[in-house]
Amino acid sequence: MTPEPNPSPSPISAASQGLASCHVCGKVSPVTVGHCPRCDTPLHLRKPQSLERTWAFLIAAVILYIPANTMPIMTVQGIGGAEKNTILSGVVRFWEMKSYPVAIVIFTASVLIPLLKVIALVWLCLAARGRSQTAPRSLSRLYHITELLGRWSMVDVFVVAILVCLVQLGAIMTITPGPAALCFSAVVILTMFSAMSFDPRLIWDRHHEKPNPSSSLPSLPTNE
Amino acid sequence: MNRHHPWLSWPQISSEPMQVACHFCDTLQTAPRLRDGDGAYCCSCGERLFRNRPRSLAHATGYSLAALFFMGISHAFPFLIMTSGNVTTRLTLVQSASELAQQNNPLLAAAVVFFTIIAPLILVGGLLYVAAPLRYGISLPGAIVAARWFQKMEPWSMLEVFLLGLVVSLLKLGKLADLEFGTGLWSLIGLVLCSAAAIGGIDRLELWDRLEISRLPPAEIPEPAPPPRA
Ligand SMILES: [Zn+2]
Ligand SMILES: [Zn+2]
Repeated sequence: MTPEPNPSPSPISAASQGLASCHVCGKVSPVTVGHCPRCDTPLHLRKPQSLERTWAFLIAAVILYIPANTMPIMTVQGIGGAEKNTILSGVVRFWEMKSYPVAIVIFTASVLIPLLKVIALVWLCLAARGRSQTAPRSLSRLYHITELLGRWSMVDVFVVAILVCLVQLGAIMTITPGPAALCFSAVVILTMFSAMSFDPRLIWDRHHEKPNPSSSLPSLPTNE
Repeated sequence: MNRHHPWLSWPQISSEPMQVACHFCDTLQTAPRLRDGDGAYCCSCGERLFRNRPRSLAHATGYSLAALFFMGISHAFPFLIMTSGNVTTRLTLVQSASELAQQNNPLLAAAVVFFTIIAPLILVGGLLYVAAPLRYGISLPGAIVAARWFQKMEPWSMLEVFLLGLVVSLLKLGKLADLEFGTGLWSLIGLVLCSAAAIGGIDRLELWDRLEISRLPPAEIPEPAPPPRA
């Protein structure tokens, strides 16, 4: 049994009462206390410098995304000489070899998910600044998906780790990780930090701030 | 001061109605009364606030203990045995990282070690350290820190992603060599399932309330609550 949300006429935000809910344990305490009385985590009305931090991690991720895709992710050394594979050339090769599942998994995890994640985070940041008309509820769904999918991008880095270790076929063949493997794991870590720094409550602050004749909410203390 | 809520099976530090703020829209609301297994949803945006999970500490203890057991096995036995010609490679979790370190990729090796060994260990070990004694109202030294840490480690424990990576590498290598699954693979799957069950089954409201109560001096600990009304 899942109770339906029943919209109340004017929701009161915790921040407008000077109350902060702990990021870790969820206990609601006055923000003036400083640290959560239950778990000692620092209390904030909103995550500190949320948007600035989200943007900074995001920009760093986008910059590293370029070498992650243009430089080789691994070098296969066989009898016929060395062959350098980028993420995309690997995808193309597996597609040509009719290994469609491998091609699709690598393309989705290494190209599609990071790109969509960056787009989603940019969208969320813009919405938190009031530059998007998307309904807040769709945006929170977007945020959930972003959080859920981000980690799966690590798949190709793990594949490199496994292959490097596994393929020591005597003198026939060796695999060494390329510089893109490190760049790519940095991209995944940075986008995860970016999503963690983002505070979805900023979107709702914007939403509640909009001129609405029926409600007269006290203005929120900004803590950006 | 009566600290018991008629609808909770565990005591709380304050008898006043509990206030919660939605993590998404920050709407302040009074925590509703829940039956076993029900969820509480934000009255403004519909996000789930928390969920009542019956016997969550017992589940968390059992599953995290099983997960630790599987973790030990998956480190002791290789999860993949590859034969090509007369070369046999046995792959364990530690090896897949140490090979990277030997090839002058210490950072990449550190990332793999962190995601597949350290984060899962903190996650499962921390949960066991907190949940097991808490069933008897005891919190071991550092339990609050451990609880904070295992919650933080949740997104960084990537064993299920590693398993997908393993499948992809198998599909890549399938034609090159003879591959054989080892005991380690099955225990790795067990580890992923058990740690997901342990983390998913924990009632965070109950965990933190109980942690708070367990730190009180013995004289102040409230008596066990009467069973919840249906
Ligand atoms: Zn707290
Ligand atoms: Zn809400």
